[in-house]
Amino acid sequence: MSTALYQHFPIFAIMALFLGAFLIVLFGNIKPLRHAIALLAVTASLGFLIALVKPVMLNGEIIAYWMGARAPAGGYAIGIALEVDALSLFFGLLIATAVFVSCVYSIQYMRHDDNVSQYYTLFLMLAGGVMGLVLSGDLFNMFIMVEILTFAAVALTAFRNTVNGALEAAFKYLVVGCMGSTCILAGTIMLYAQAHTLNFAQLSAFIPGNMNTATVVAFALLYIGFSTKAFIVPFHPLAADAHGAAPASISVLISGVLTKSGIYGIIRLSYFLFQTMELGTMQFLLVFMGSVSMFVCVTMALAQHDFKRLLAFHSISQIGYVLTAVGLCTAMGISSGLYHAMNHTLFKGLLFLAAGAVLHETGTTDLGKLGGLSKKMPWTTALFLVGAFSISGIPPFNGFASKWMVYQSIYQKAVESGNIGFLFVTIIALVTSVLTLASFVKVSQSVFFGQLPKEYENVKEVPWGMRLAMGLFAVLCIVTGLFPNAVTTYLTQPAAAAVFNVANYINAMMGSGYAESVMGAAAPAAQAVTFVEVGVWQPVSWLLILIIALLAITIVAIAGQYDRVSEKAPAPAPVDGKYDLFFGGEQSVYSQVGGEDLFWGFKHNWRGYFSFMHELHSGIVNDYALWAVVALALTTLYMLIVF
Amino acid sequence: MIMFNYIASFFLIVLGFYTIVTKTNLVKTVIGLSIADYGVNLLIISIGFNPGGTAPIFTWGELNPASFFVDPIPQALTLTSIVIGACVTAMSLSLVMKLREQYGTIDTREIRRLRG
Amino acid sequence: MSIVLSAVQYLGYVLIFPGFLFCFLAGLLLCGIDRKMVAKMQKRVGPPVLQPFYDFFKLCGKETIVPAAASSKTVFLMAPLVGLAALVVLQLFIPIFQFTAFSGMADIIVILYLLLIPALATILGGAASGSPYAGVGLSREMVTIISCELPLVLILLAVGKVVGSASGTGLTFSFSAIMAYQAEHGSLILKASMIPAAVAMLMVIPGETGNHPFDAAEAETEICEGLLAEYSGPPLGVYKLSHAIKMLTLTSLFVALFLGGIGSGIEKLVLLCGLSGAAAGAVTVILGAIVLFLLCVVLTVVCISFAHAVTARLKIEQIFKFYWTAVSGLALISLVLAWYGL
Repeated sequence: MSTALYQHFPIFAIMALFLGAFLIVLFGNIKPLRHAIALLAVTASLGFLIALVKPVMLNGEIIAYWMGARAPAGGYAIGIALEVDALSLFFGLLIATAVFVSCVYSIQYMRHDDNVSQYYTLFLMLAGGVMGLVLSGDLFNMFIMVEILTFAAVALTAFRNTVNGALEAAFKYLVVGCMGSTCILAGTIMLYAQAHTLNFAQLSAFIPGNMNTATVVAFALLYIGFSTKAFIVPFHPLAADAHGAAPASISVLISGVLTKSGIYGIIRLSYFLFQTMELGTMQFLLVFMGSVSMFVCVTMALAQHDFKRLLAFHSISQIGYVLTAVGLCTAMGISSGLYHAMNHTLFKGLLFLAAGAVLHETGTTDLGKLGGLSKKMPWTTALFLVGAFSISGIPPFNGFASKWMVYQSIYQKAVESGNIGFLFVTIIALVTSVLTLASFVKVSQSVFFGQLPKEYENVKEVPWGMRLAMGLFAVLCIVTGLFPNAVTTYLTQPAAAAVFNVANYINAMMGSGYAESVMGAAAPAAQAVTFVEVGVWQPVSWLLILIIALLAITIVAIAGQYDRVSEKAPAPAPVDGKYDLFFGGEQSVYSQVGGEDLFWGFKHNWRGYFSFMHELHSGIVNDYALWAVVALALTTLYMLIVF
Repeated sequence: MIMFNYIASFFLIVLGFYTIVTKTNLVKTVIGLSIADYGVNLLIISIGFNPGGTAPIFTWGELNPASFFVDPIPQALTLTSIVIGACVTAMSLSLVMKLREQYGTIDTREIRRLRG
Repeated sequence: MSIVLSAVQYLGYVLIFPGFLFCFLAGLLLCGIDRKMVAKMQKRVGPPVLQPFYDFFKLCGKETIVPAAASSKTVFLMAPLVGLAALVVLQLFIPIFQFTAFSGMADIIVILYLLLIPALATILGGAASGSPYAGVGLSREMVTIISCELPLVLILLAVGKVVGSASGTGLTFSFSAIMAYQAEHGSLILKASMIPAAVAMLMVIPGETGNHPFDAAEAETEICEGLLAEYSGPPLGVYKLSHAIKMLTLTSLFVALFLGGIGSGIEKLVLLCGLSGAAAGAVTVILGAIVLFLLCVVLTVVCISFAHAVTARLKIEQIFKFYWTAVSGLALISLVLAWYGL
């Protein structure tokens, strides 16, 4: 086996982050050095992964890296391994990008906090944990990384412990998160008892032919464990609490990175380890949980009046799209699900950073108190709108391209399988999208547009470093939306191909022919990933036409002196009140429609549902723990029945 | 005999989760987490156990095909898991202390500013 | 040379036909006919048919006032233009029977989302004005959009299923496939399973355009035109124009989805006249545009003017309820029938 230099890159990508964390502990008190180390670590990590794009994504290689060169002997994998296929690399790239942008943002965002060096230590630990999780080829290492990232995330949630609810959120997250981790550990060890190995590849070869009650229970435990990391229903309240309390740069990681690690775990489990996705019952489980997450969380978001909490619920709603698409077990489904996962990281990151910018300048994220900020923060407003359009799926931004593919894959699955359930999933997905738009209209109205309250007259635009970070995300949002074909060809299709070629994954690690020898005829054959889109969408041409039309109209409008009167009112307010707002003849007062009261017509019809959901999310940690236990019990029962 | 271990570990995990779900005292919640963790640790050790096996400690050359010892991997895993469990306890207790300072109570029913 | 020619051709599509100029003339004419018809139904004389043109040009001659409290002048002024441009582009994608200016660029799911852009532009423009009336109007406009979305989704899925199962692929969202199907099998409205969907679509049209009885969002007597409360002069004129074009867009979408079979009749007619080659193509397109416009007039009279004349404004929660129960129910019937291959 030739060891090209790039074979070492995965471990470098992980170690860069951890090493950075330790160096910051040592030298963190020197401010410039701290920032330099953090930036260097995340840049190096991103660079190493980008260098892997060519061999892994384009040439389809799978990197199996044995720590200390302890390659398997006698068909047993004893050593600790990293295995990087296109799927791992895809998630790794997402994570590295989000971490990089978040780090750039942190430098100016966190400058007023104290103990910033601890912040960067935890930040890099979190990043390293997630990176290790997605690149790991070993189930127990995955557990270790899960613990590291849970710990770092909990600590960072409570980092600003004077913020209302930060400690509470951290504690709830810790309790339910650790229940999830315990489940993962128990599942891991039950698999070990059956297969006497912890290596993914060997497990993937062994388990499918040897399914018994113990492995099924282990599957249920692992599945629930990774569900808590992805925050899908019924674990969504934790995400909402954590996001609301954590600094915005950490919310980016929790939503863009942590949830992805959960999704990655679920894909690895169900497509690789247990290879159960061919079964309709397993597809049902994922699609059902995905659709429920999608819908419940978007309605929860509509009822929120805190900017970041609202974003948190949307985050889970979008994860619902990803899970649904992944659960379809079709080439297009996985491809579109991964595409949406990527877009979710980008646009959700952008939105959280915008929320952080608002918090940074005004000190609050309460939708009822804010308003009219676009006058003071035009850049943040513009960047927020890019994110809001993306998540609501307005063409030509990236959210549209991936949602469009998700709809097609679900509906196609419905037609192919003849299962009317998928039809309703399509409808839920489409309606969820417009509800998403509604809540972002609410945010734009109550934060950036509308009337400016008196106390925010002196608000300024955020510093350039934060704008740069948001701009990076915004540019990526637009680019990935305009070139969906490039994204699918170079990123998501190789990853989807990796998902469908489990035998390659096993053989790359255990030596060629291993999968066939262990699994016999049941070894999954390599299959090409192809799909036909049932519709057409050419964003670049559309944008060109729109720009031409807009230019033409604007030129005509300007020539017709569209804006010939400037908004500058003469210094003393004009007597006739020409530039005042129209108040029906009354004296003008501050009368912003509050965020909670928008969409009354919608909420009125569903008041029963909304008050029920409000009661249900009681905020008591025992209730959330109970949900976790019930979810575990039901999942175990369901899996025992269907397998 | 080993069956008894499995039953005990299962019982401990369930007991831990039961404690988390029913007890409204934050410290008891932390205890519940620990109990569930110990249950898993017991499970791991039991899985690696071979009746009559020796400790898996060998110097180079001592190891031969006839050696009969307990599975060392679960023991390594248990060590890791115990360390992590200790961290969980430490961290959650420190959070409980801070919560007591801020809220003036450690009753879960009153620590619910974030809801809905 | 050919690049220049095709560029000129596409520019012609965007600016003249079926783009901006066509939309401008046809939309405002449609609006005038609507107003005249409502007046006739209410036994009034009504304005002349060309009144919307007069209104538009008069508004263009007035002063633009940006309120001092507006939170963003750029958004306030650009929103109407973006909305108009998006509508014009949308109209380019909707086939005029067999003719599409830009074929193979968008499907019905895209149309569903493109329809949101003009509404969104209105909402953002209104929000940027800072008026509390706009706040209320925004809330209602958004709820109206949510209301219409569900039935529209159901209708489009039903159409996609019917056309797809006939063409053997099982499913299609592409407009060209829908038009090809109708040219071969006759208009979709002739299929029994599609009739409820067509009726539902007729009811969606006034909701999407914000006409009576679904105009709670701009309720002049109550919230002073809501989102448009602070607009004046040319921007207001652009909004009025957009509203008129939206009527054209939605009615021609109905024609494309349910009455596309008429196109083959036109082609036969052209063949009967003994035309061939480029001339035949041109005549077909012109005839098609005329027929399309006439159909749009009929549809407007049926589902906008008539509804306007006989109904009173609904409250916003009633609008939501109406769309999510009655109209969605109709569309769902169609979808389920289509699902089982009827």
